Amino acid sequence: MDEAKAFVFEEARDDTGAKLGMWLFILSELLLFGGMFILYSAYRYKNPVDFHHGSRELEVLLGTFNTIILLTSSLSMAASISALQRGQRKLSMVLLMATMALGLLFLVNKGFEWGTRIEHGIYPNSPSLLTRAKGEILFFGLYYVMTGLHGLHVLVGVCIIFGMLKLIAKGKINQMRFVPLENAGLYWHLVDIIWIFLYPLFYLIA
Amino acid sequence: MRPEEEPHVTKYRTYVLVWVGLVILTGMTLSVAGMELGGWTILIALGIAGTKSGLVLNYFMHLRSERPFIFSVIIPLVMAVFLVFILLTFSDLAFRSGVK
Repeated sequence: MDEAKAFVFEEARDDTGAKLGMWLFILSELLLFGGMFILYSAYRYKNPVDFHHGSRELEVLLGTFNTIILLTSSLSMAASISALQRGQRKLSMVLLMATMALGLLFLVNKGFEWGTRIEHGIYPNSPSLLTRAKGEILFFGLYYVMTGLHGLHVLVGVCIIFGMLKLIAKGKINQMRFVPLENAGLYWHLVDIIWIFLYPLFYLIA
Repeated sequence: MRPEEEPHVTKYRTYVLVWVGLVILTGMTLSVAGMELGGWTILIALGIAGTKSGLVLNYFMHLRSERPFIFSVIIPLVMAVFLVFILLTFSDLAFRSGVK
């Protein structure tokens, strides 16, 4: 009966379960974007020349710059988790802020990119776009939907990281309890991986 | 934390090296795109993209250092299944007789 005398209130935690949950969500996201990548492949297979022409209208340098931005943001994200694991709380927070800044920079670039396209009259269902070849219409349709959905994921990621920052500041996420931050990291790396595939398929087929 | 759940703390150096690799691979993708390789270009570009994803998955997402079986085997296995879906779809497309 000694057990009854000693109450140790430990938080009920299942770190492996938490991570598994995030991985399952990631797999569902792979299905979401995977379906669209397959659609892209099918249309590209049918309209290789039109896709080539469409890709020429996108600015490779901007796309490359955005790729580097996201890769660097993944670095700062991963490093922020390591920092927290070592008890370097301030460094962890600085790295998270850097990740957020890079994510926002990516979105700003995307905004400029879309802006120039729209100025040239190229947007879903625009009169100017509809006069073009069928394959080009498909290319830009896919471009807007896939980069748009991806951009939405980036925005959500930035918000999640902001939430993590607040929790670290309050001490709810700390050296002894960092799986929520790891999960945020997993989500962010997923967003990076999706872009790793979007980049060559839209910008580099010219 | 229970001993068997001790986290594997990755060194900063590892992360930076992976990042350098990713940037180099991006550069390689860019230069391959500029070459006249016909149908091979996209295959090489996708291969490089796959390698980059592998780096992100294994090092940034810690798949390489995860102990539980579920992470080290099951998830890569499921991803391989997705890959098969994509390959099968493409094989179907490739061998159609051109009827729209």
